[in-house]
Amino acid sequence: MSLKISGIVEFIRMHRDEIMKDWIDRFNKADAQSISAESDQIDQAIAAEYVNILIEWSKNKEDEFSRKIHEFSKRIVQLDWPMDKIAQCLHTFEKILFAKLLEKQIPGDPLELLSEIEKVTSPVNREVFLQYTSSYERTINLQKMALQELSAPLIPVFDSITVMPLIGTIDTDRAKRIMENLLKGVVKYRSEVVLIDITGVPVVDTMVAHHIIQAAEAVRLVGAKSLLVGIRPEIAQTIVNLGIDLSQITTKNTLQKGIEAALEMTNRKIVSMGERR
Amino acid sequence: MMKTSKIPILKLYNNLLISIQWELDDKTAMQFQEDLLKKIHETGATGVVIDLTSVDVIDSFIAKILGDCVNMSKLMGATVVLTGIQPAVAITLIELGIELEDIHTALDLEKGLELLKELED
Repeated sequence: MSLKISGIVEFIRMHRDEIMKDWIDRFNKADAQSISAESDQIDQAIAAEYVNILIEWSKNKEDEFSRKIHEFSKRIVQLDWPMDKIAQCLHTFEKILFAKLLEKQIPGDPLELLSEIEKVTSPVNREVFLQYTSSYERTINLQKMALQELSAPLIPVFDSITVMPLIGTIDTDRAKRIMENLLKGVVKYRSEVVLIDITGVPVVDTMVAHHIIQAAEAVRLVGAKSLLVGIRPEIAQTIVNLGIDLSQITTKNTLQKGIEAALEMTNRKIVSMGERR
Repeated sequence: MMKTSKIPILKLYNNLLISIQWELDDKTAMQFQEDLLKKIHETGATGVVIDLTSVDVIDSFIAKILGDCVNMSKLMGATVVLTGIQPAVAITLIELGIELEDIHTALDLEKGLELLKELED
């Protein structure tokens, strides 16, 4: 078996320039709209490296080889090509190689030949796609983290009054985080009143309302009071139309009114210091 | 068989102070309920503060006992305030659907006593 594989590798080495030329030509034809001198050069370099790796496949020790593939794949990912372009590109190479092998009338069953080609190219291809997916996953995870950081901030505004402004849609995961942050914050800042500001929440459905009610309930258990502020007219409409009972929670239409109410609850108020100059 | 440990109940002027320092098991909780009511009867206290700062877990049974304590004490003319419920405990209670409605809560012992004073006025 391995004899056949090394035979193919040998074949690639011998007909290297030919194959590469065909490959790049074919690829550029398919990609006719977006040809530029620069990308052409990159294509050439990448193609050369790919072929080199395939050739060295048999010579190198296993781990060294996999390290090489790894580096190569990383470089490809850095080019930031769309994945389908890479897939097409690699597939084209296999097709060309197969055509060349047939052309030179290498003895053997074509089907077997195909499977041998696949054996030569698949470790490299696999690694390339692995790198691609892991780079995508990394991006997604980073964004997820960024989102989480933004998801539930708690701001102490006065002594024993804190505000949690919520922006964007609330799902179950986020609601959980909101509740945790809210309660931890209440204990940490020793707040008596927390204001949950939903000005930036586009939709309040039964689920969101349920989460808010639960959060308010939990806040009460911890020993503080919660106010729901920033209820826009359309939100009020949805809440009533859905038959959600928010009567247990004090609500205000703006954060400003909420703060005034919160100050009142803690026996304070903001007074003006006489004439404004 | 585990020995049931008694929870100390302290009297401070007209109030009773109870700090629960470890996880309550069912038996201790029942014993506590009995002791508390007896103490209210003896002292004629008008306020009770139960501090749960050191309690990390409350199950539905303990929650029910605590709720019962509150209602029973109310019948005997004493207002109960639960203080220092930990965030994690609050979340668990809510998730279990135990809302402990009509129960006074406060952030800590100090605020609990203030609240009692306010309620008395």
